[in-house]
Amino acid sequence: MHPSSNIFKILLLAVLLLILSSSGNAGDKYREMINCDLHQGACTRNLSGSTVTLAVTPRPVKAMQDLLFQVAFSAKLPPNTKLPYIDLGMPGMKMGPNRVQLKSAGNGTYEGRGVIVRCPSGRRTWRATITVPDFGQTDFIFDVIY
Amino acid sequence: MLSTEALYLLYLTSGFTVGFGHCIGMCGPLVVSFSLNLKEKSIRAPQLLYHLGRITTYAILGGVVAASGSLTMVAAQMESIQKGVMIFTGVLIAFMGLAMAGWMPFGKVFGDHSGRRSFISNAFDRLLKVKSTMVYLPLGLLLGLLPCGPVYTALLGAARTGMEAPAIYQGVFAGMTLMIAFGLGTVPALFLVAKLADLGWLKSRDTIYRIGAVLMIIVGIIFIIKAIRF
Repeated sequence: MHPSSNIFKILLLAVLLLILSSSGNAGDKYREMINCDLHQGACTRNLSGSTVTLAVTPRPVKAMQDLLFQVAFSAKLPPNTKLPYIDLGMPGMKMGPNRVQLKSAGNGTYEGRGVIVRCPSGRRTWRATITVPDFGQTDFIFDVIY
Repeated sequence: MLSTEALYLLYLTSGFTVGFGHCIGMCGPLVVSFSLNLKEKSIRAPQLLYHLGRITTYAILGGVVAASGSLTMVAAQMESIQKGVMIFTGVLIAFMGLAMAGWMPFGKVFGDHSGRRSFISNAFDRLLKVKSTMVYLPLGLLLGLLPCGPVYTALLGAARTGMEAPAIYQGVFAGMTLMIAFGLGTVPALFLVAKLADLGWLKSRDTIYRIGAVLMIIVGIIFIIKAIRF
């Protein structure tokens, strides 16, 4: 066998194993995407011309803990709009569907309970996507304590 | 509210997508290590037994969280066990690498000066050189306890399903079967990774095999570091 062919195979195996071993622990490069500090209090983002405010308690926001998600809209949602919901996930890593279904708490606010799971890779940047069906959605990207 | 059939399909597809999008990176080194360690033996039966064990553990966890209705409560109880399993996994992979490279330090590290081998050295030696394929079943059962974000997420759904079930046994059954569906979905990705590491040219070249062994030692150390930080 040609020596260059062996070198190629060695490099291939090295790259494969290094990618496998480091992909879950590549440092949290997504931290620069953070647009909200939920540990300090509520955050507000735009949503289809109005604003939506998200608060998560208890604070600081910790993983593997029962959390209350409270959402308030600046404008009244259109009549017959389906209930909003929050999808929790990590930027750049598939964690499986984790949806917090919200219920009306009156005065244009909605709330629901959920859990942010812990990722053994050590990455702590999470995303909460608030969706109002047939209206719009917005992302809150924040840090979670493990 | 999704129908039961839709929920099973969701768990199965979720396991499948998470398998390729997450498990390959997090658990890939583990199945690659098993493949390399088997050397000339077929990986099919050991891998299937490993996945059977892993999915059985997922099912048991699904039943437990469905019965309790709370993932956070169960997870808090399991934390130290998971940490221990993670350290064991790291040590196992590292020792597999050492054994493959022919650098097994058992005699020097664990043995005594009279030349007799210690209990620890014998136990690890037996584990690494075990001829029986069946060892991969208990290994899968144990490693199914490894902390894993998508498994936690799936368990959250199992806990919710348990709470909404009209009777506790129905909830437990639903929690277990949902986790089986999720676990089955993760198999193709991990099996594919194991198969890639099982290529003939890979195992038949001493230099490549030895590099694989060195990388396994590194992966084992990374697992141990992750466990300490967990």
